Amino acid sequence: MRRLGELEAEIMDRLWAWQRPATVREIVDDINRGRRVAYTTVMTVADILHRKGWLRREKSGRAWLYETVRSREEYTAGLMRDALGDSQDRPAALLRFVEVISDEDMAALDAALRAARGDQLPHPGDGAGA
Amino acid sequence: MNHHVLVPLGLALLTGFLVPWLVVRARWAQQVPRLALAVWAACGAGFAAAAALLPAQLVLSGESSHRLADMLFTFRPPTPGQILHLDGRERFAFSLSLLVLSLPAAAFVRRLTRARRVRARHAGVLRLVGRYDPALRATVLDDDRPAVYCLPGRSRRVVVSSGAVHTLTPAQLAAALAHERAHIAGRHHLLVAAAEAFAAVFPRLPLARHGGSAVPLLLEMAADDRALRRCTRDALATALYALASGRAPRSAFAAGGPSAALRMRRILTPYSAGHPVLRGLLTIAAAALAMAPLIVACCSFPQ
Repeated sequence: MRRLGELEAEIMDRLWAWQRPATVREIVDDINRGRRVAYTTVMTVADILHRKGWLRREKSGRAWLYETVRSREEYTAGLMRDALGDSQDRPAALLRFVEVISDEDMAALDAALRAARGDQLPHPGDGAGA
Repeated sequence: MNHHVLVPLGLALLTGFLVPWLVVRARWAQQVPRLALAVWAACGAGFAAAAALLPAQLVLSGESSHRLADMLFTFRPPTPGQILHLDGRERFAFSLSLLVLSLPAAAFVRRLTRARRVRARHAGVLRLVGRYDPALRATVLDDDRPAVYCLPGRSRRVVVSSGAVHTLTPAQLAAALAHERAHIAGRHHLLVAAAEAFAAVFPRLPLARHGGSAVPLLLEMAADDRALRRCTRDALATALYALASGRAPRSAFAAGGPSAALRMRRILTPYSAGHPVLRGLLTIAAAALAMAPLIVACCSFPQ
């Protein structure tokens, strides 16, 4: 199962990098530069990705042309929405290092940090810390 | 109705009202967050037990209620045969207890399964979009906004955005990662789910109301403490500051989420671990609370 997951990522990586539709043959040839992988395996996994809604495909001659449904950035943006807690309906799904923070809290953080350092360094407030 | 009602009633008042009221005001709670968490958990369990017993003792006749009290104090659960031969009223009381217990239990399970579903979906996308960094032992997500979080439970992993990797120094990043690993190792998501479930089922109860906001913050503090075993106070505090200030937009619901300012102050001003005697006493107090059902029960036990 783990290998299958890796292969899914490898296929998506290539299609995202190429930014154009590609056949299973092209994908297999590219993966084969690094390691051996069977054509039928890639075909099966591409079909799984299609059923999961990650890839769309259309017939071109006798082969399928596969294309990503959404860009990597769009998926990442969705994950970051979860990560930053922007969506309000939050079950105990993710545990974040910092929750959404108010301006007063931010000022208090700033003050606490300055106090601890004896205020010896001017704090630019760019969040870079030290 | 009989005098055995007093036992669960006393326990409910103690765990649902008095102890939460005390712990929320206690200064030691934030200094020894794990002990405070144990007290909250004990209160939750005690209150659930009391809430289940209360209606049963109200319904039962004197004699059967006496037998029930007997069973509880001697820790002798009823045999299946005994359960089958309950008379009508006893059966009613028994199902009443189960019903009351099932409310928080169902809410807890519902929350866990919903969270697991969210996490599984999140992890599924993450697996294809993120890349695992063996040096960090974390999944890196390509985004300029700094974020560090973890997926606890079955699909456990720590995730950092590339923005966080660039913003934080290696020491700060290590501190933030150690904090997240502490969440995963401590299975903190279970306590969060339990606190949420209690708050949903008993919205007006002081235990649920105070616990719902105190428990997440205490969990953050416990994770901070554990991270501090592996990093410096300065690294953790500045990581907290950098990640908090790097966030846009600072949206309106300020009340949501554990207070980062409280945590920061706590990280930066190391407190002396307290007098050993004091800590011992607190531990005994927590243990006594867990035993409260027994103690209260024995006191009201008919001679």
